[in-house]
Amino acid sequence: MDSFSEEWMTSVEEDDRVEASIGSGPDIHLPWLSQHIQSTVNCGDKGTNFAQTTSICFNFIQEALLKHQWQRASEFLKCYLQTLEDINSQRRQVALENIWKLGSTILYHHPKSNIETFSTFADRMKNIGVQNYLKISLQHALYLLHKGMVEDAYRNLNQAESWRYGEMSTSQEKLIKLIQAYRGLLDYYTWSKKKTESSQSDMDSYAINAATQDMHSYFRQASVNLHEIIKIPGVWDPFVKSYVEMLEFYGDQDGALQVLTDYAYDNNFPSNPNAHIYLYKFLKKEKAPEDKLISVLKILHQIVPSHTIMLEFHTLLRKSKKEEHHKLGLEVIFAVLDFSGCTENITAWDYLTKYLKQIIKEKHLDWVKEGWSSRKDWWPTFHFSYYLAKKNWKENKILALKKAFTSGILLGKGCRYFMYVSKQGHKVQEKSIKTMKKFVMKHNILDSEEC
Amino acid sequence: MDFPSDLFPTFFLPGPPGLSDSPGSFLSSVWSDYMQLLKPPQTQDPSMRKLRPWEANPQREASYVTKWGRWKPDTPGPLPFLHPGADPWDPELTSRDLLFRGRPRHPPRAKATIDVVEQLNHFLWDHGDIAFGPLGMLLQENFNLGERKKSHKARAVMNAGRLLQDLGGYQPKGCPWAHLSTRQRRFSLLGGTVLGEEVESLLGGLLHEELETRWKELLLDDACTGGALAWVPGAKAHTGQLVYPTGRAHNQLNFQKIKLSPTREPQVLGDPTHISLRGPVRQVVTRTVQGEALVAVRSDHHCAVWQVGCQGRPEPLQVLDTHKGATGISLSPHLPGELAVCTRSGTVCLWSPRDGLQQIHKDPETLVFKDPSSWRWVDFAAHPRMLTIADRTGVHLRDVRGPSDCGELLFCVGAEASCQRGERVLLAQYLGTPSPLSLSPTLHLICSQSSLYLLDERLPLVPMLKWSHSLMSPPLLAQLLPPPCPGAPLPLLLGGLGGHLRMLHLSGGSSHAPQLAAPPQSLPSLIDSLHGFPVLEPHGQQLLQDRLKAPLTGLAAVVPPSHPSPSMLLFQLSAAGDVFYQRLWLQPDSSSKNADSPQNGISSTDCADDPGFSSHDQTSATPSLNTASDACALSWNAQAVACCRRWLKTLLQVPPALPPWTPPTFSQHHHLRWSREEEDKGEVREGLQAAMTEGRLLQQEDLGPLPPSDPPPAHEPFGPEDKLSERLKASWEGKGAVWWDSQQGSTQVPRKRQKRRSQLSSSFSSVRTNSDFSDIASSPHRSYETPSPLHKLPETSRSLELSQELWAWSIPRERRQTLRDYLAVLPSPDSGGCSTPLSQNPSSHSLPTSEPGRHSVLRSQNPSTQTLPSQHTPSLAGSQPRKKKPRMGF
Repeated sequence: MDSFSEEWMTSVEEDDRVEASIGSGPDIHLPWLSQHIQSTVNCGDKGTNFAQTTSICFNFIQEALLKHQWQRASEFLKCYLQTLEDINSQRRQVALENIWKLGSTILYHHPKSNIETFSTFADRMKNIGVQNYLKISLQHALYLLHKGMVEDAYRNLNQAESWRYGEMSTSQEKLIKLIQAYRGLLDYYTWSKKKTESSQSDMDSYAINAATQDMHSYFRQASVNLHEIIKIPGVWDPFVKSYVEMLEFYGDQDGALQVLTDYAYDNNFPSNPNAHIYLYKFLKKEKAPEDKLISVLKILHQIVPSHTIMLEFHTLLRKSKKEEHHKLGLEVIFAVLDFSGCTENITAWDYLTKYLKQIIKEKHLDWVKEGWSSRKDWWPTFHFSYYLAKKNWKENKILALKKAFTSGILLGKGCRYFMYVSKQGHKVQEKSIKTMKKFVMKHNILDSEEC
Repeated sequence: MDFPSDLFPTFFLPGPPGLSDSPGSFLSSVWSDYMQLLKPPQTQDPSMRKLRPWEANPQREASYVTKWGRWKPDTPGPLPFLHPGADPWDPELTSRDLLFRGRPRHPPRAKATIDVVEQLNHFLWDHGDIAFGPLGMLLQENFNLGERKKSHKARAVMNAGRLLQDLGGYQPKGCPWAHLSTRQRRFSLLGGTVLGEEVESLLGGLLHEELETRWKELLLDDACTGGALAWVPGAKAHTGQLVYPTGRAHNQLNFQKIKLSPTREPQVLGDPTHISLRGPVRQVVTRTVQGEALVAVRSDHHCAVWQVGCQGRPEPLQVLDTHKGATGISLSPHLPGELAVCTRSGTVCLWSPRDGLQQIHKDPETLVFKDPSSWRWVDFAAHPRMLTIADRTGVHLRDVRGPSDCGELLFCVGAEASCQRGERVLLAQYLGTPSPLSLSPTLHLICSQSSLYLLDERLPLVPMLKWSHSLMSPPLLAQLLPPPCPGAPLPLLLGGLGGHLRMLHLSGGSSHAPQLAAPPQSLPSLIDSLHGFPVLEPHGQQLLQDRLKAPLTGLAAVVPPSHPSPSMLLFQLSAAGDVFYQRLWLQPDSSSKNADSPQNGISSTDCADDPGFSSHDQTSATPSLNTASDACALSWNAQAVACCRRWLKTLLQVPPALPPWTPPTFSQHHHLRWSREEEDKGEVREGLQAAMTEGRLLQQEDLGPLPPSDPPPAHEPFGPEDKLSERLKASWEGKGAVWWDSQQGSTQVPRKRQKRRSQLSSSFSSVRTNSDFSDIASSPHRSYETPSPLHKLPETSRSLELSQELWAWSIPRERRQTLRDYLAVLPSPDSGGCSTPLSQNPSSHSLPTSEPGRHSVLRSQNPSTQTLPSQHTPSLAGSQPRKKKPRMGF
């Protein structure tokens, strides 16, 4: 309901009727439908006229906002307040939401607006109608937080949390949870501040004791709220991080691990790469066995094969004693270089070149072939084209050399990239080029295929 | 690549779109526009940093304007760039043409109904041969149309020779002179129902279907999704080519070389290269990958690729024939010469001119839920072997190497992205950037009717950013531009089919979630440049306005070679084939001082900076603000106006699209034989004849001077001096004022005039009564703007008839005789025909008789005959208004 606009509402009403009169058709809503109808149907009814004027006014405000004419928009908004007089309760509700959305945006940008003005507006809007109280409270709190008014934000969240009006709908229950979670986050901030204070200053034992108790109470307050929100599917990165940090501090490593595991592996949650990264980092800090780390990163590799951690994963796999891990290590580094954002990652190319050399020496040419088979039809143009050879050589010679080495191994000495770079490189780095050429002559998968 | 470490907290609950109670609608960025400018809450230990995150933020947030300035156009609207094409352009169908325009029964709930009846009516008039032809062919065997031998033993054959003869002189365009013979009448009565039914049921059904399609097309035309205007950068930084279609059917592809300059307006280099295609160009895509510039074009049933060489010459590579109709084409940003094409049948192919086609996906069904639309879209992704496949319900990420069912849903219309009920995907575009530092190369733009979503393919289903664009037309065009200067946010342009443009500023490298760096901006559309053109006469103005209002079908932005203050050239292509351009400058904002010191309070300098604000604190003088802010911001400079003028000159030379009017050939020999005998045509008929042959409006001059010798002998001089007649005569001839002045000169005593008036009023009470009625009856018609005599004629006669009716009960008995005498001199309508024709069956309305009374009554029924004069016009026109005038004289 929140982003409904006046036009949207009218079109929702009209749409069904239009579709009905057309006969068949998709159940698709078009915000511009009402314009088409208005151009043909002129009704003289007072209610419709008011609605039309309202929508015109709404458009004026939006136009002013999009032109960054904040003052002009605020003038129009003054007129728009009249929509609260609408006899249609649904339209009135929409008008309320619109006023909040437009008003808060105007006040956020208006050069003469300040925190007090914004707060007054928010407080006023909260209490018109009951459905928006929580939503506006939370947005107000976030605004205050953004402006650095942590205490005010906290007070606001507290107030919102204790707000009760009749029976709460499920969405309001969810919203209360979110409000509580934000309050928990602010509690965590205080906890964190106290933690640093107690660690830095030289306090006597009594004071330390008091501070610790104080901290603990904040922890309790925060953890209850944070724990609640984490159970609901969603993206809760800041909440999870702060909760885990506090759990870790109080030595509840199992609890922290449980939270992170749930966050990462619960199927109801979106596949958030951060969940796996947090888990991996936690395990790494806890010095978990390598197998455990590898299993976590394996899943991350499936979700985000292009992540920087994949380079770490690659070294981890290389160090592993299992042969299947070695094989996976090649796939991981290949996959990193598949992505357009990673084509010029020198570390990745370095890893690949070194690893290819190692694998060939270890006589696992079949792995290379396997990894190469799904790439041979596009890597040559994607990475090893003549154009790129010239470009890379011009921009980054080390990168060009690494790539040339790889191209030589994968495509043989006839590869244009290899030929160009080795020819150019001959003048500059004769020695390294010679060793490279030598290696490529001996080992490349093309020749090995022929034999 | 790093993944953004802190995302904005949000609920994730799958479900259908539009759950009013959906917690998904708590997606924080949906709440209010300013929320998109907030950074997600940080969790890093605050003490570890010098400043707490929320303390550091305000300055950083507000700094966009101070740091980079504001994009400002240098003219209030885009300027014409190329001369208008030689082909005339008809404005497209509007809802006015399709929808029923009557007064709805329930006014508060406006309702759109397709006006099939009117369209059918038009169709039958305009294409009677198509409508009735097939039926005629069927019935041909049962009619003898004058052939010598037509023997059908089994069939009943009707001799239609005479009927045809009767019809010989008849024009089927509703000619009021056509005479209806008894034979014709009988035939039409007998056959009318059968003929009508057939046409109604068959043709009506088809027409309804067609209108429905057109209406849906009008509401949402997805043909030009992606846009048909593209920029191919040239070998040098300041040159390039615009690729766009022209021609009436948009079937001529043009490659126009252009030279850019950092300060001056772009220059056209030579004539464009034309390539004629066999279908309308719907989409033009260009990409330059590894120095190889390719242009891909999508037509309805063909797709084609050209390679643009170093010299800028396009060379055709390959053409693809798509049987079902292609809906989307895209060029790979990673591999040169690789394309993806999708068709209405749900097939997605990877296409490379070198290696041919590879079918990736085939599914006639939609992805998430059932939707009747056959629109499909395909684009690439950050991985060169991944494609995004979109339909109205969602976007799917597919690996082309895997089996056809692998892959994952990137976006679905549902509660996950807190979509509205009835929201659909209208555009899906990969926003790959070459440099991951400015923006992550894994982002996809998805537009629906109401919102814009940014999705990271590494975190599917959860939008990173959502903004309600409030465009009043489908957003079918989008383009992401490189940062204007290093480190600056990336401008993202969004264009609606209706010409509305939005510009967003995206920031966030690979380690930050994408975010709006500044509040979105709207850019001028073509119609905004209307004021740059000189004011024309109404017809020309309408032509220009229609032209500027034409749907926006292409958008291409170019960043010219470096200059101290960065600029951007925005080319727009309209459905009329016009290319307009506008230059935008990233200028330091003058009011930024205000914007960045929100807590400074009001100071006098602030007010001095901006006249708008100071004037607005006390009074709400919106217009003054409007003019003030507009005036100081932008105005049409002489150069721009000259540019508009030149364009307009060419435009108005283009012949309008109207077909030449040909006078109907009209044979009179059969029915109007007697008319030849009358040789004394007189001026009146000659004028009428001339007007008819020329097909223009009949004017007073055509009828010659009003016959002065034809006054109705109805009233003898009343009273001692017949000033009334004189005055009526004078005022009818338009010399009322002169007469009055002369009277004033002779009789200067006002008291006397008053007396005379009272005398007159008492003595002519009967006449007054009559004219009063005529006034009442005809009062609504008085508001006609240009009452030519021909318009007046039927009104007067009608009013008289009505007054006659009324007269019977409201006029005192003793005065009726006077009135009767008075009216007797008028060409009286038949007493019976006065009221009955109004309720007569409509079949006769198209064939009005030539009797004047009847004709004038029918006028109210059939508007098409309203302005057509009968042969008795002159006498009526000459005598009638004299009756109407008495009141006007006073």
